[in-house]
Amino acid sequence: MSFFWQCLIDSLLLGGLYSLMSIGLSLGFGVTRIINFAHGEMIMFGAYGAYFASILLGVDPLLSLPLVAIVVAVTAAVLFKALIEKVLNAPHINQILLLFGISLALQNVAAILWTGDARSVATPYSLTAFEFETLLVPHGRVIAFVVAIILIIALFCWLRLSELGRATRAVAENGQAATLMGINVSRMYMLSFGINAALGAATGAISSFLLTITPFMGFHMLAKAFAIVVLGGLGSVPGTIIGAFALAFAETWVSYYVPEGNGWAEGVAFIVLLFVLTIRPKGILGQAEAVH
Amino acid sequence: MKLRIALYVLLAVVAVLLPLVAPPIVNNMILRVGSLVMLAISWNLAANAGLISLGHSAFWGLGSYAALLVANKLGWPFFASLVPAMIIGAASAAAIAVITGRLKGIFFAIAMLALSEGLRVIAVMTPDFTGGGAGVFIDQALRPTTQTVAMVTAFCAVACAAIAYLISLTPFHYACRAMRNNESVSEMLGINPLRFRIAVLSLSGAMASLAGGVNIWYSGFLDPMIGFDLHVTILAQIAPILGGIHTLAGPIIGAFATIGLSELTRVLLGEQGVSLLVYGLILVFSILYMPKGIVGTWNSWVEYRSRGASRAKVGATKAAPL
Repeated sequence: MSFFWQCLIDSLLLGGLYSLMSIGLSLGFGVTRIINFAHGEMIMFGAYGAYFASILLGVDPLLSLPLVAIVVAVTAAVLFKALIEKVLNAPHINQILLLFGISLALQNVAAILWTGDARSVATPYSLTAFEFETLLVPHGRVIAFVVAIILIIALFCWLRLSELGRATRAVAENGQAATLMGINVSRMYMLSFGINAALGAATGAISSFLLTITPFMGFHMLAKAFAIVVLGGLGSVPGTIIGAFALAFAETWVSYYVPEGNGWAEGVAFIVLLFVLTIRPKGILGQAEAVH
Repeated sequence: MKLRIALYVLLAVVAVLLPLVAPPIVNNMILRVGSLVMLAISWNLAANAGLISLGHSAFWGLGSYAALLVANKLGWPFFASLVPAMIIGAASAAAIAVITGRLKGIFFAIAMLALSEGLRVIAVMTPDFTGGGAGVFIDQALRPTTQTVAMVTAFCAVACAAIAYLISLTPFHYACRAMRNNESVSEMLGINPLRFRIAVLSLSGAMASLAGGVNIWYSGFLDPMIGFDLHVTILAQIAPILGGIHTLAGPIIGAFATIGLSELTRVLLGEQGVSLLVYGLILVFSILYMPKGIVGTWNSWVEYRSRGASRAKVGATKAAPL
C-alpha cells in the first residue's frame, strides 16, 4: 500500500513542475498563435542562470530565481521584437521554422559557451527528505512543487485581476477586437512572450537542483511540454495544468509498475501525444478550431 | 527544353557512374550529398502539401533499422534490404497522415517530433530486438564495397529527383499547392485532402527511409542516437529552405550548399557545436530575409533584370506567394 502512496506523492510533486514547465508554452500559443519551439531554451537558460549564481556567487537557486527570470524575460522580449514579430502574419511554415532555428542556435550557443558537460546545483535540501514510516518525500521536490504552485497562482491572479492581465486575455480571445478596444496588441505580444519566457526560466531555476543541466535539456522538456499542452488543449491554461498532472501520473505509474519502467517512462509523453491526436485532437479543454 | 532535359540526364548518368573512378574521399562526399538530396526532396514533397516535418529522422531511423535488422536476422543482402526499408517508411508516414488527419501544420510538426523521439525510446528499450543503447554492427560479410553504396546512393538520389520532376508534371502537384494554400477551398474543388496527404507523405517517408537504409550499409553501425538523430531532422529541413522551398531544384542545390557550408565551418571553426549553430542561424536568416531560398532569389533577380529596374520597383515590394 505504501508503494501506492509513494507513487501518488511522486506524481503530484512532478505534476507541479510539469505545470510550470508547460504553462508558458500554452499561454504563449493562446496569445500570439505561435508555438514557441524555443521555450525549452528558456528553461535551459534559467537552469544555467541558477547554476552560475550558485557556483560563482553562492546564491541559492530560489533566491536567484526572480533575477534569472527577469533577465531571461527581457532577453526573450528583445528576441521577439527583433525576429519573431516579423513572422506574426507569415504562413505557419515560416513561424515554425524560424522558432526551430532560434532554438537550435540558442542550444548551440550554450553548448559552445558552457560545453556539453552535465551539471547540477548542490543545495542543502538536495539530498534530504521527509520520512513518514516507509514514505520518502525529498525536500527538493517539495520546494520545487511549492514554488511552481505559487508562481502559477500568481499568474492566474495577474491574468484575472490586473489591467495588463485582462488585456492579455482579451488579445488571446480576439486580437482584432482587442485592437479596437484600444489595446496595443503588439506590445501585449511582447509582454506575454517575455512573461512566458520568465515562466520557462523559473522552471529551469527550480529544476537546477532536481535534474542534470545540459545545453540540450530544453529539447526533451519541450517535447514533454508539447504532449501536455496538446493533451490539455492548445491555448487553454487550466487544460494545461490538468494535462501536466495527467502526464506526471502516467509517467510515474509506468516507472513504478512496468518492468524497466524508468526507461519506458521517457516514452509515455510521445505515446500520449500520438494517442490524443488520434482520438481527441482538441485536447481536454482546448479548441482546435483556433488553429485553423 | 529538350536540350535541357538531355543535359540533366547526362548529369545524372555522370553522378551515378562517378563512384567507379572517384577516390574514396569523393565517394564519401557523394554519399553525404546524395543522402541529403534524398532527404531534402522528401522533406520538400511533404512541405509542398503544407506539412512541415520536424522529425524526418523518424523515417531515416526506421529505414536504417529495417535494413539492418533484415540483414542481421534474416541474412538479406544489400539490395533486398532496401525494400523493407522503403515499405516501413511509407507505412509509418501513412499512419501519421491518418493520425494527424485534417489537423493543420502545427499538429503535424509536433506529431513528427514526437514520433522520432518516441521511436528512439523504443529502440533503446528493446535491446533484444534492436541492440538497444549499446548499438549494433551490420553483418560485415554482407557489406558491399563503398563504391557500390555510393553508386546506389547517387542512383536513388537521381531517382528521387526524377520522381519529384514527374510529380510536378501531373495535376497532383496543383492539388498539393491548393491544399497548402487553402485546404477548405481545395476540398470544395473536389480534392480529397486526406487521400492526397496519405499519398504525399507515404512517398516522402519512403524516400527518407530509403536514404537511411542505404546509409546504414555505408556507416555499418547503428544505435538509437545515430538512427533518430536530431541532426538528420535539421539537415532535412535546412537543405530545401536554403535552396528554395516548394521548387524542384531547390532541395538539390540546397543539399550541395548545406554540405559545402558544413565542410567550410568544420575546416574553419572545427567544433561540432559551431556547425549546428550555423545551421540555426541559416534557418533564422533564410526565413526572415530569403524565404524563397537560393533558387527563388535567383529567379526573382533574373526577372528583375529582364523586366528592367524601373518597372520592377513597383512589383518588387509585393512578395510573391510561396
